[in-house]
Amino acid sequence: MANQKEVRSRIASIKNINKITRAMEMVAAARLRRSEQRIAALRPYAEGMRKLTRLAAEQAGGLPRVPVLDEHDEVKRVGVVLVTGDRGLAGAFNTNVIREGVRVRDRVRGEGAEATFSVVGRKGVSALTFRKLDVRTSYVGFTDRPAFANAREIGEELTARYIEEDLDRVELVYNRYVSPLTQHVWRQTLLPLQRADVIGEGAEEDGAEEGEQTEAERAQSRSDWEYEPEPEELLERLIPEYVTISVYRALLESAASELGARMTAMRNAAENAETMMDDLTLEMNRVRQAEITQEILEVVAGAEALG
Amino acid sequence: MLDVEVLTPEGEVFDGEVRQVSTRTEVGEIGILANHAPLLAALQPAELRLHVSDSEVKSYAQSHGWLQVFGNRARLLVEEAIDPDDLDAGALKEQLSDAEQRLSESEKGSADFARAEKDRDRAEAFLAIAG
Repeated sequence: MANQKEVRSRIASIKNINKITRAMEMVAAARLRRSEQRIAALRPYAEGMRKLTRLAAEQAGGLPRVPVLDEHDEVKRVGVVLVTGDRGLAGAFNTNVIREGVRVRDRVRGEGAEATFSVVGRKGVSALTFRKLDVRTSYVGFTDRPAFANAREIGEELTARYIEEDLDRVELVYNRYVSPLTQHVWRQTLLPLQRADVIGEGAEEDGAEEGEQTEAERAQSRSDWEYEPEPEELLERLIPEYVTISVYRALLESAASELGARMTAMRNAAENAETMMDDLTLEMNRVRQAEITQEILEVVAGAEALG
Repeated sequence: MLDVEVLTPEGEVFDGEVRQVSTRTEVGEIGILANHAPLLAALQPAELRLHVSDSEVKSYAQSHGWLQVFGNRARLLVEEAIDPDDLDAGALKEQLSDAEQRLSESEKGSADFARAEKDRDRAEAFLAIAG
């Protein structure tokens, strides 16, 4: 059995762990609230942009060449944007999204194409580099509080590479925030728009009513719509903006998810530490009692030997 | 009356019925009344006016964005829609001269140039609204 000193030092170290994890939980909780507000405010705007782009792109069929709207004949290179966090200690947050990124790579390979990664967050960069995957660009240092400028940098790079035909398709993989307990790994095709869920099922967050309205919009398409400026020019400016807003949304969703996951993970860790402290305190009492009993026995035995 | 929704990345600014929406597209001033034909437009920075009733007009300093009109419903997706009383003329003047400086330093046609131009247009329009 361990002696008193050993048990006491274990209690002290568990106590420290408890304090640290509690503090991390509080920090994450305080910042999560702001992060939650930001993503809740952005969602309707991002959804609106998605619908607007879908509408504009649908009606563009038969338009003269708009490079960013072109679907490339052959898909050889797929860009995967993987949004992770800069720091760990957030439960399965990073692991899940990285695993999905690797799965996307495998699927792309199955289609006979190559995947290159644009990675957000130090955790993703180190995980993919370790696996010797092709990390073309990395963006680090802002995952807990992304700014619009960060999204613009990433979005502009993607759009430019797509237009230059360095990429034939762009996929976005990130954690979507549901609650501090739940984050869903989400995959979305950004470019080409023909493949994007902008046009796809469009099921995402649309209610039945929205779906009907879209049908009506489609029925009306081409004939009566007015454009200012002309559709080609409008699309050429709208699509990069749509890409940037989509990336921005992914960054904010991921930031809220990271903080939520960290808060939950740290709360569990702190609770585990408390349970452990209780167990160790019991153990400590038992050890002390055993030592006292031992001493008494020795005294009694000694007295008997003398007598 | 028509339904109007004004959304920005920072949240919803307005949602309700109005008689008329007036703002500015690339082509020029535009006024949307009930039952307007379907429209997709790129918006320029301008004073956005929502005529809620004959006597009440809500006014916003609105920056770049997009307008979609369909089925008696107008949706504005704009980068900013600020109460004109919240505009800070001093800060705007600084932003304007900063944008002009960047404009003169950057190459025409580059991304920096486009961004500087956008910032300048916004600062100019907002200054005009701030009076």
